[in-house]
Amino acid sequence: MTTEEIRAPASHATAARPAVPQERQATLGQRIYRYRFVYLMLVPTFALLLTFNYYPAFMGLYRAFFKWDIGLQPEFLGLGNFEKLFIRDDTFIKSLRHVSLLTSWRVISAVTFPFIVAELIFNLRSNVHKYSYRVLTILPAVVPGIVILLLWQFIYDGTHGLLNAFLEGVGLEDWQRPWLGSPKTALYAVTFMGFPWVGGVTVLIYLAGLQGISDEVIDSSLVDGCSGLRRIFSIDIPLILGQFKLIIVLAVIGGLQGWVAVFVMTAGGPGTASMVPGLWMYNNAFLWNKMGYASAIGMFLFVLIMGLTILNVKFVKTGDY
Amino acid sequence: MTVLEGQPQPVQRMSMGAGWRRAWRTGDWWRHLGLGVFLFFMFLPFIITIIISFKDIPQFDHYPFTVTFPLHPDNYLEAWRIVSRYILNSIITSGTSVVGMVILAAIAAWAFARYPFPGREIFFFGVLALLMVPGELTLIPAFLLVKDLGLLNTRWVLIAPYIAGGQVFAIFILRQFFQALSGEMFEAARIDGATELQVFRHIGIPLSQSILGVVAIMHVLSTWNDVIWPLVTLRSNELMTLTIGLYAFRTAWYTIWGPLMAGYVIASIPLIILFAFTSRLFVEGLSSGAIKM
Repeated sequence: MTTEEIRAPASHATAARPAVPQERQATLGQRIYRYRFVYLMLVPTFALLLTFNYYPAFMGLYRAFFKWDIGLQPEFLGLGNFEKLFIRDDTFIKSLRHVSLLTSWRVISAVTFPFIVAELIFNLRSNVHKYSYRVLTILPAVVPGIVILLLWQFIYDGTHGLLNAFLEGVGLEDWQRPWLGSPKTALYAVTFMGFPWVGGVTVLIYLAGLQGISDEVIDSSLVDGCSGLRRIFSIDIPLILGQFKLIIVLAVIGGLQGWVAVFVMTAGGPGTASMVPGLWMYNNAFLWNKMGYASAIGMFLFVLIMGLTILNVKFVKTGDY
Repeated sequence: MTVLEGQPQPVQRMSMGAGWRRAWRTGDWWRHLGLGVFLFFMFLPFIITIIISFKDIPQFDHYPFTVTFPLHPDNYLEAWRIVSRYILNSIITSGTSVVGMVILAAIAAWAFARYPFPGREIFFFGVLALLMVPGELTLIPAFLLVKDLGLLNTRWVLIAPYIAGGQVFAIFILRQFFQALSGEMFEAARIDGATELQVFRHIGIPLSQSILGVVAIMHVLSTWNDVIWPLVTLRSNELMTLTIGLYAFRTAWYTIWGPLMAGYVIASIPLIILFAFTSRLFVEGLSSGAIKM
């Protein structure tokens, strides 16, 4: 490699500098040849992405239009899978209602409780305390998710569970029940698990936003007599809308994709009392081998997640402050 | 917007006691109270888990949630016999995939950040678009793919897709960071005769250690916690990772709460150790203000 080749990229990398004249004259072929080692750098990444990400993604979209059972020849159905999904599949329709409840609660809890905790930490005077609380709130996030799910399964347990023991302790024996085993409560139990709903990572993201507010803004608000709740609502929240937006997007995606929790806790039961679309897809694919029909559910979830994310990014405005 | 632009906060040197007295004087006490209540409920399940992990069956039947004597640490031995293999499997899987992922992602992100090669925007968009593709869409075709490749029930069935998928987010974050590094430093190194590879290895990488650490930890957390992919691709007990191993353990040992809870505690320890060594990195990486929309 000659020195000329090596120096050329550097002049570009320092962004705003104008392009070197001979660079402008170079044809596309010459430029591609000059950067051949860069393409080489990207080969392993794209080989893996094409195999394990792009191919399955396109296959998933394509096979959603087929009747595709393992071991049988795929049979083209057109929109047949979707017609069945929305018109004849009552469980699926029911699962949509369930997932809206789950997702709504996820969004509501993610914009309230962690934000309260973040404000409490942010307003502490001592940096030592601030740091200690940050570490303490993030600590539960490193406990493996499966352990948390299995613990909540234990909390809700009908005979040995913590919740029933607590109800007995406060004299509400009538309210005791197998929370996950009864059709009336299973869905709500799954929805509201995780009390007090403070995700450590979420708290840190809010805190990062609050720390980004310049001291001058806060000081001048204090001079103007704006403090306490007033400051939170008229200064803090508007200034960290970017973080709120991120949290909301993550909560929506997390809610729609959160079927693993349902799978572990209730497997969608009893019956289909807590069924959600992701789990319905899993059952169709891996219990009943209906790969085409399951792909249609996967495609529906993909479109839904993408649509909601775009809506959120577009219409919940960050604003320029 | 750069990642990790915030310097570590200067920590005030004062004794904890003085800090608390000051907290009382400045009216912070009710904030401590509020945080205390939240933290109490956040930690309650874990405290009870630890308490139960030391109980035998009669102790649990009579006093399920209070500390009972004698303690039964032998529950941990029993649980360790079952869980240790799953922990080892998870360490192998997450460890191999995080090394492979970070190397590939760093190289690709470096290419995207520092060379204006033709097609850069298109290729980068090709990576970014995958951030929008949920696992639900790819689960079934990916399963059939690894089945056709004959990877089912091997370690590679986890490692290869984890490397592939983990890159996407890592490239996104690392590119931002690499772009924000000052170009003059690299220019100077080149004038001194450093090759492109040397610039990357001896300047780029050392300057990016913290962000590489953050990306690596996030990858370990997500692969360590994955449930569905190992569940559908692994059959043999010898290969099971911690998540599905614990799930099987729960099903087999239901109502033998002592060893079961001891197993949960043991299962949490590896990540807590990892966190103990990297908490600073992790907390600061997430608090730096880089992660927003």
